[in-house]
Amino acid sequence: MKDMDFETQLRSIASGMDYPPTPDVAGTVAARLRVPRTRSMSRTYARSLVIALVLLASLLLIPSVRAAVLEFIQIGVVRIFRAEPTPVPQESPATMMPITATPSATLPSLLPFLEQMAGETTLQHAEQMTEYPIRLPTYPAGLGEPERVFVQDAEGPMTILVWLDPQQPDQVKMSLHFIPDGSWAVEKFSPRAIDETSVNGNPAVWAVGPYPIMLQNGDMKVSRLVNGHVLIWENGGVTYRLEADLPMEEAVRIAESLEPIP
Amino acid sequence: MNLSGEAGLDESALVQNAANGDAAAWESLVGVHQDAVFRLAYLLLGDPDDAMDVAQESFLRAWRHLHSFDASRPLRPWLLSISANLARNRRRSAGRYFAALLRAFRDEPVSERIEEQSVRNFQARELWKAVQKLNVLDQQIVYLRYFLDLPVAETAEILKVAEGTVKSRLSRALEKLRDIIRQDFPLLSEGRET
Repeated sequence: MKDMDFETQLRSIASGMDYPPTPDVAGTVAARLRVPRTRSMSRTYARSLVIALVLLASLLLIPSVRAAVLEFIQIGVVRIFRAEPTPVPQESPATMMPITATPSATLPSLLPFLEQMAGETTLQHAEQMTEYPIRLPTYPAGLGEPERVFVQDAEGPMTILVWLDPQQPDQVKMSLHFIPDGSWAVEKFSPRAIDETSVNGNPAVWAVGPYPIMLQNGDMKVSRLVNGHVLIWENGGVTYRLEADLPMEEAVRIAESLEPIP
Repeated sequence: MNLSGEAGLDESALVQNAANGDAAAWESLVGVHQDAVFRLAYLLLGDPDDAMDVAQESFLRAWRHLHSFDASRPLRPWLLSISANLARNRRRSAGRYFAALLRAFRDEPVSERIEEQSVRNFQARELWKAVQKLNVLDQQIVYLRYFLDLPVAETAEILKVAEGTVKSRLSRALEKLRDIIRQDFPLLSEGRET
């Protein structure tokens, strides 16, 4: 059968599709606009919340976990639970990694995980999908734009920027998450050490890894992109997570260099 | 039912008013475009509740970004682009797993459903199942061109690619779809031959 015939028949068959009646989207949207930013609990959010509460309740049944779970650090929408907080070892300048430090060659590639992540898009399109401005690091010089960009539904559009390591293209060099207010996220599994610092005067948390992370939100994604450490801070209703295998001072310097895309 | 995407001569004026904060103007535009946005989300997600969530979020998100939208351009491609992105994001979410479970309990037996459906609707549903075997980008282009019956130019605008790219992608998608129908949907295939 020729393409034209096939196309004609496809269109004819598809026109017989019996769609469910369109709900009153206009009315619902109008109602939401009349009550701006007072969030009604969506079905997805409700499901996620139920799952999270069940998970938390299950954890609390374990005595050793119960004690640990009661201690946490909250920064923006991220809550880090810690079981055995330990002080950050003071690193001497000689042991500090340079800005170009990369994970060990023995580390598994995280690229396959990237391929599974939903919401890949372009930087330009991500800007259209988000209410908050997407900001890029201007330090270190020559970092450039991220190679991969994702916008995921986290009860608000969560943006993830990913820079690959030019020396080891199968490794992620750095990732930066933008998590808007209203999302609900949890990081768990006690990092090796947690320290408190600041980014442009805003309180920040530095967690030394590597450690597993669990992000719980509308999409229930599990994502950790860099086998390194994480800097978390909040500014203007957006929580930022910077994952990089770098010393804290370097991560803070990168965080403080963020500027809107020109 | 309005799939024409035409809000009349006043669309750009309504968009301009909405961008200036006129919620009533936006509500009018939602009314014009809600069928197309809901249907595309439904085709991509297969669940009316999920499609409603995506449609609603699409219009709210567009409202929040109206200041960056060129009011002289048609609104529908932009809305469908947002809706398609949100639906694609949602496809892999864990929440969809639970929605699928709920659907499994809610759905009636297949045989009963078929009896109630017209032959045309049955064929369309079979075609939909066949399209669902394509990858999501191919699905999207088939839904836009044949299920929503949009022109190539508008499809290109929604997918943010050139018209030539739409044609070449469509050609490859149709080739795969033809094979799928031949192998897995013989009734549909026979229907086409008659």
